Order: sequence, then structure tokens, then C-alpha cells
Amino acid sequence: MSASFEFTPENKKRFEEILRRYPTKRAAMLPSLHLTQEQEGYISPEAEQYIADLLEVPVVDVREVVSFYTMFTRNPLGKHHIRVCESLSCWVRGSDEVKETLEKELGVESGGITEDGEYSWEVIPDCLGACELAPMLQLDGYFEGNLTREKVVELLKKQAASKTSGK
Amino acid sequence: MPTLTIDGQEVTVDAGTTVIQAAEQIGINIPRYCYHPGLSLAGRCRMCLVEIETFPNLQIACYTRAQDEMVVSTTSERVLSARQSMLEFLLSNHPLDCPVCDQSGECDLQNFYMDHGQYQSRFLENKVKKKKAFPIGPHVILDQERCILCTRCVRFTEEVSKSNELGVFNRGSRSVIDLYPTKSLDNPYSGNVIDICPVGALTEREFRFKCRVWYLASQESICTGCSRGCNISLDYNGSRRAYKAGGRRVMRIKPRYNPDINKWWICDEGRFGYGFIDTDRIETPMQRTTSDLEPSDWDPALARVAETVKAAYSEKGANGVGVIVSPQLSNEELLACRELFVEKMKLTNVAALNPWEEPGEADDFLRNADRNPNTKGVEDLGYSGDAKAVLEKAAEGEIEVLIIFRHNLADGEAGKLLEKAKFVVYVGTNWNATAERAHVVLPGATHAEKDGTFTNFEGRVQRFKQALLPIGDSRNDSQIISEMAAKLGYSLPASADEIFEAWKGISLDELSGSGSSVDPDTAVQA
Repeated sequence: MSASFEFTPENKKRFEEILRRYPTKRAAMLPSLHLTQEQEGYISPEAEQYIADLLEVPVVDVREVVSFYTMFTRNPLGKHHIRVCESLSCWVRGSDEVKETLEKELGVESGGITEDGEYSWEVIPDCLGACELAPMLQLDGYFEGNLTREKVVELLKKQAASKTSGK
Repeated sequence: MPTLTIDGQEVTVDAGTTVIQAAEQIGINIPRYCYHPGLSLAGRCRMCLVEIETFPNLQIACYTRAQDEMVVSTTSERVLSARQSMLEFLLSNHPLDCPVCDQSGECDLQNFYMDHGQYQSRFLENKVKKKKAFPIGPHVILDQERCILCTRCVRFTEEVSKSNELGVFNRGSRSVIDLYPTKSLDNPYSGNVIDICPVGALTEREFRFKCRVWYLASQESICTGCSRGCNISLDYNGSRRAYKAGGRRVMRIKPRYNPDINKWWICDEGRFGYGFIDTDRIETPMQRTTSDLEPSDWDPALARVAETVKAAYSEKGANGVGVIVSPQLSNEELLACRELFVEKMKLTNVAALNPWEEPGEADDFLRNADRNPNTKGVEDLGYSGDAKAVLEKAAEGEIEVLIIFRHNLADGEAGKLLEKAKFVVYVGTNWNATAERAHVVLPGATHAEKDGTFTNFEGRVQRFKQALLPIGDSRNDSQIISEMAAKLGYSLPASADEIFEAWKGISLDELSGSGSSVDPDTAVQA
């Protein structure tokens, strides 16, 4: 966690590039926030203020956008982040089971980080857009679908193994 | 200029007028939550849906511009059913805690539900719980569950106060209006969000649970907080005894729309600056006998003033009596003072302004640095010279009797001069160090307790109306002056109406509207 936030020199260049694509600075809000999250892993209040200053908008406007979109997170996450879809299709097909399994296997509730800082997970109440895979989750942005208790356990094992094998 | 038909009535409006405004012009009030004439359009609440011929879908009246030959219905079956549905949505997460809600009685959710409600609830689900009743600033309490997310308050902080404290966070049924963390709604105009909130989400900390709104009576008045002269309504305990509110009579102040001065807004200082009306008032005349001030009847107090004035007058002539009137007085009181002290008694030492007065905070919106409501009136009525010269003469003993209206001249340099004055008469509303030092104290009435006019800094003569009886034995100043004059052998009218009519040639009631604006060029607009 950092008390202050600033784009890296490389990201600053990318930000300038983003600005050029839009007629107004305000319009560059979403890509700027994506860039922020990519660099920091989450969007801190300091980063919100930084973006507000860059785009010349009130900081409250940045918070409105960050809190509206579920793909932005305001808290630091684990090294690997799991997002469980809880929207209608997934819920009907058993997202509750996925949630229970993750809670048991990782030992933390939704929104928490494991003690070793490896994993964090959260329930997303809005549709993640992959109903054909229901129930599904996102692991570091990648879709894993047609989940059961066993598949979730297996997935976590595979992830742990890939880490020890240095992949 | 488009001419359109609304509910069978033809109306011609200026180009660019919206349907909701056109309807208002012919007295049709379309229900609305998010629309406010002083804010940008949001189109969030969908309450103002109307049916327009040739449009396949219902349109929001706040956003749709009036066009020639438009045929609008605000009461068709489709419209009424849409309103009912919108209310059902808005109430789906509303807590319905009306019995403990301060907005009750002036709540648009209640009001519109009376006309368009479904009455039989279909809602079986659990309501979303949000944060209830927490302060978001020095004057405002927020209840997120009651909020219908119209965003009037958010737009106010964006567009009017330009302070950006509030925002809509999260999404869908979890959306809330909240402060940006670390911020507080403490801008100088924060109280206005209470007025524009159509529901009980934003309520006034001072007024909360003090009085149900249906017990309030309201009177048109003018804010005395600065020289702007914002139009206000004084809401006071009308049908209820004042003891139920701890002796408070004035319960709150609301801005009153005036397009030329304050529009829909007032500053917090004005809104919450009514405390002096009911606290620390001078309630009876007082006389200094040996060393203490003691309560007295009016007659002996006025007789003593008259005797002392007469004695000074016969000894030193027109130089023997000094008068310091105040820009807190109404035009009518200033006129009465002018007639008695300047025209009849020909006093040479008459002043009005206090040169030591600290200016207040000013900005480019409503607040003026001059904290007096009638400085322009003082100037227009020919008062010049400041209190310093008069006080100096009183200190040197040249002036035998000094009559001070309203001013507190007991601090610093003024206080040192005042100490040496031989005989001081104080005419004022509230206790201060000057009153405590005076030899005779005469209790005046506040603007809530009398009729009159103030001239704002632009020269608009505006009326304020009496809401309350003068507290205790206090009297309005024009009556005090008239009675003082009678004891000195002069005859002066006592009523503000008479004085105003003699001044402007029209009665107070004929002054446009009540307390409304007056064209500065012509000074009076009948």
C-alpha cells in the first residue's frame, strides 16, 4: 500500500496516449482507472485524487465511477483474485456451492485475503457475462465454468501446483 | 414561439421551454422529484412522464421541449398508470418510517402517493438496508434508506455551491448518496439541500423533531443577515404554544423564491441566524436608578428620556443631543427618526454607521460583507456622518444625551468613548454591553415582530411582514419614536404603513408582491 500514487513514467506516456483519444479529459476516466488498477492492483483514495487532478474533475466524480463498476476494486487484493458470479443463471445452477467451497478451502470470507496474501475472492452480484458457463468464476480474469465443489477444489490445487512448478 | 395543447388547454410559450414548465404556466403541476428549476436536468425519477400525441412512448416532461402543435396529456390512463408504477419502484426500498420522519407533512413521496399510490403493496421481498440518520455536515442529517436518488443535492453541490461534497456511489438497488470520504457538507450554502430534497433523506439538524410541520405558520420576510436582502419565509409556532418548543417561536427559516435576488437559495448564516429573535431579548424598559438597571414601565422611562432631552436641548440647543440610528432599522423607522431628530428638532449630531463594525464574509454568490439589511436605506434617506464623531462629542461632554439604536458600541475605542458619555438611551432588541451601560433602555421589536421595508444594496425596497407579537413589553421602533415625540411635543405617525405611504405614495400592501423585488431604477414598483 502506498500513501501516494503516481503513474510510472511508462504509464504516464500511456495515459497521454489515452487522453489523445477523447474530446474531453473527463471522457478518459475509464481507461485511466484501468491503467491505475493495472499498475497498483487496486484504486486507492490517493489514486482517485491523482486521477481527479489529471482529468480536472472533482474527486467525488471519480469515486462515483469506481464504485459503480464492479471491475474496479478499492481494496488491495491477493496475488490471485477470484470473482464469483452470483447473477441469476449462476445462482440457479449452484453459485452458492462455489461460494461455500471457496470459503472453506481458502479460509476467508468473500472480500477477504488469505493470510499468505496469495488469494483473495469476492462475490460479484452483477452478471459477469458468461451464463453459458454457469455457475462460473473468474480467476485472474480468466473464466472457469460449469463448476462443482470438486472442480473448484481441483482448480485451486492446479493453481497452487503451477506456482510451485515455477510456471 | 410554439403553441401547444396541454390537457385541452392551449398555451404559447417561449422557444426552449420544456413541457413541465409550459404546464406550470397554465397551472398544471406535473408530479416530479428530480426536476428542479434551479438545477440541471437529470431525467432520473421518471415521475413526470406525459403522453404526447405522435410519440409512441411516454416522454419525461422535464426534458421534452415544447413544440408547435404538440398535444400533451398529463392525466391519460397510460400516464396515471406510469406514475403509479414509478411510485411503486421508488417505494420498493423506502422504509416508510413516516411516523418518525421529519419530512412528514411536506414530503413529495407522501403527497404524490395520495394521488397516485397503489395503496395495496405487492412487495414481498426484503428491503435493502442502508445507513440511517447520520450527520453529513454541521446542519444536515442523511438517511440513505429514505433517499430516492433524485440527485438534486448532488447537482446542487456540483452546480450551485460548487463544492462537490456529495456523489452517488455503487449501483442498482445498492446505490447510495453519500459524502466523499474525508469531506463534510459544510459549505456556506449547505442548508439548501434540505429544502430541495423532496423526501426525508436530508433533514435539518436544528429543526429535527422540534416541531411537526403542520403546526407551523409561515410569514413572508426578508433576511437581515446582510445587505443582499434575500427573501425568506419565517416558519413559526402557529397553532401550538411556544413552550412546547422551549419558548422558541421562530422554528426555521426557508428561502422564498425571488428571481432577481436569491432565486431559490439562502446562505446558512441567514438560515440559522434567527436565534436572536427568541433569545437574550430586552423584554421591558429599564431605568438606571442608583447604580443598577431596573425594570420600568414605558411611561416613566419615556418621560425620563424626554425630560433629559429637553434639559439638554435648553442648555446646549441642537448640539446637546446626539443620535446614532442603525442600518438594522427599517426605512419607516429611519424616516421617523429623521422627521423627529433632524427635521423637527434640527439636531446636528445624527449619525448612522458604525465605523468599527467588522465586515462579514463575502462571496460572489449571495453573501455581502455588509452585515446590515438596510445600509442603502440609511444612505438613501440622507443619513451621513459616522458614530465616531458623535461618540467623541459625547465623551467630551458636548453632547449631554446620546440615543443609540441597535449598535453595540461598548468595545474597544468606541467603548472608551461611550464610558464617558453623560446619559445614554439605548433602543434595541437584544441585550449587549451597550444596553447594560445605558441609563435608559427601551426594548424594540425584531423584523419578525413588525411590518416595514428594507432597501437592499442594489436599491430594491422590499417588504417584510409581521409574524409575531413583539416579545414581552417590547414595541416596534416607529411606535417608540412616535411616543417619544409626543412627550417632546411633536406629533408623528406610529404605524409603518402610514409612514411608508407618506414616503412612497402607495400602501405597503401595494408594494409589488409582499417583500418582493422592486426595480432599482424606479425604487418602487406598484
